Amino acid sequence: MDSDHEAYILLLLSDGNLPTGAFVASSGLESYVTHGFFGTDSSTSQPKSKISAMTDFIRDSLAAYARSALPFVYDAHKLTEEFLSYGMDVGDEKGADIASVEADFIALDTLYEAMTLNDVVRRASKAQGVALLTLFSKGFSKPSSLQGFIEDLDVTRREELATQLVDRLKLQVRRGRILGHLPSCWGVLTAALGLSAERSQSLHLFLHARNLLSSSVRLNTLGPYAAQQLLLHVVHPLVNIEMQNCRHLRSGYFSTTSATTELQPHDDFDESLHGPANTWPLGEILAARHDLQHSRIFNS
Amino acid sequence: MSSDLSLIPTPKSSLGAGRIVLRSCGSDAVLSEMSSSYPLKLLSPKIYGNNVAVVYILSYGGGLVGGDQTTLAVEVRDQTRLVLLSQGSTKVFKTRPALRLSLPSVEISSAITVQRMEVVVASASALFLLPDPVTCFRSAKYHQLQTFRLEEDASIVILDWITSGRRSLGEDWVFSRYYSLNEVLVGDERVAKDVMLLEEPQIQVQALPHRPLRDRLAPYSCYAMVIMYGPLVRSTIQQLSTRYKEISVFKRSSPPDLLWSLSTIRDGKGCVLRVAALETEAVKVWLSGSLSGLGDVLGADVYRKAFV
Repeated sequence: MDSDHEAYILLLLSDGNLPTGAFVASSGLESYVTHGFFGTDSSTSQPKSKISAMTDFIRDSLAAYARSALPFVYDAHKLTEEFLSYGMDVGDEKGADIASVEADFIALDTLYEAMTLNDVVRRASKAQGVALLTLFSKGFSKPSSLQGFIEDLDVTRREELATQLVDRLKLQVRRGRILGHLPSCWGVLTAALGLSAERSQSLHLFLHARNLLSSSVRLNTLGPYAAQQLLLHVVHPLVNIEMQNCRHLRSGYFSTTSATTELQPHDDFDESLHGPANTWPLGEILAARHDLQHSRIFNS
Repeated sequence: MSSDLSLIPTPKSSLGAGRIVLRSCGSDAVLSEMSSSYPLKLLSPKIYGNNVAVVYILSYGGGLVGGDQTTLAVEVRDQTRLVLLSQGSTKVFKTRPALRLSLPSVEISSAITVQRMEVVVASASALFLLPDPVTCFRSAKYHQLQTFRLEEDASIVILDWITSGRRSLGEDWVFSRYYSLNEVLVGDERVAKDVMLLEEPQIQVQALPHRPLRDRLAPYSCYAMVIMYGPLVRSTIQQLSTRYKEISVFKRSSPPDLLWSLSTIRDGKGCVLRVAALETEAVKVWLSGSLSGLGDVLGADVYRKAFV
């Protein structure tokens, strides 16, 4: 995929108006504020500025999210990318392969569910993940009136395979066989649109952080100008650091098929060093307590 | 390495292995196997009847050092109930304290202490793992990897908790690395995989002030996680769920002294509790009260030993 195309897709995906459900998720920020963690420095009990309070929250939240979700984004992206390029090489109907991609996706998505031991986070993740699949089918598929105009057979073939895969995953979501968590669906969506794994991961982190800032503005804990300041001067270095820390991590899910052998954990895969983990137990408790708030404006 | 007879700890790190098999004989639980090697030590005070057995997991010299590795295999069979406890917190040193003066510590200073536990719980049997918290001292590196395989209708309670260090020495989340994995499988299905990683940031963010691990976990100095699953703990889960849903949080100006949360596993067949508090003692008191329903399952005498 050429870089012009990739840049254009990045512009589309970073649009804040995309109907992905992210605008109803504060990822634990609202609960953090309600429980009294926002205004005071927890170690010194001194009041701290809203800018530094928000900086701290973004750092802790982004680090925890990167460590737990990026391995799944990577594996789902790779699974999809291999299916799309393999299908390209063979150039015919690969009914059996789409079934094995689906089986691997289920294994990956189910592992994320087992590792996300938090009712509120699970609920938000599934709502946003399924919304991404719908976004692909409805928002990024080629309108039928344009389908007769074929520029490049390879591109057309790839688009067809991607549509088949996403439709199939959506069907299994409806049947209750797939949960559709955000990191796994994001990996599928971005691979289907031709983003590289690395772009996909860093954009995912950027969107997580930007969403925290939007939530903060809506909660009135930060003004819109301050949010932009943080987006430029705080989020940028943090996304880079977390990419360094986490882009090489893998989920460790066990692939059941041979076409994607590389996805199986290698013998030297030490999950205590290269696997997903939760790094912020405080954030975990506060996110789970979201529903206990007497009044709230977000869903998570 | 079998240095059970040696009174002086070996200067090198040690590999210890242990095995516990609990079976039923009449209405008594019988430890048909119980063995261990240095630095792991197992102790069973007596059989309590009612198909319940208690085993203490100890480490020689009161702690583990960098490079120590222990592996404990546990089987709970024949509808018995096994309670695994520790005596005092599990202390993890960077190096063995007695040796600090005489030997250069650099040789083993970067080594990780690893404790593994592989548990099988048969149908209608139960395991209650209720140790004291882990305390990692300054610069220590600790990995704890625990897998629990349950047959249908088996029950389990897993308590896993950590303190911020030796507060008398001013330690406050200053260990290097703590990694704890608890995986629960029921039949072929993985119902929960909790992985907690606490470590100092590996790379400094140039543009921002340093943010140590301590700041991320403040103001609390103890975090606990409990996984419960199975028919024997169903009523305890229901009681806690009801209590949890009744909580209504109004906007606060500062964090509470204790926080807890509950999430469900497999539509309420199990749950995950998380607790954090300013003081370890407060977490202990909270756990002791909140899990007191287990006293009905284990007998009050046995339950009392868990949170002394």
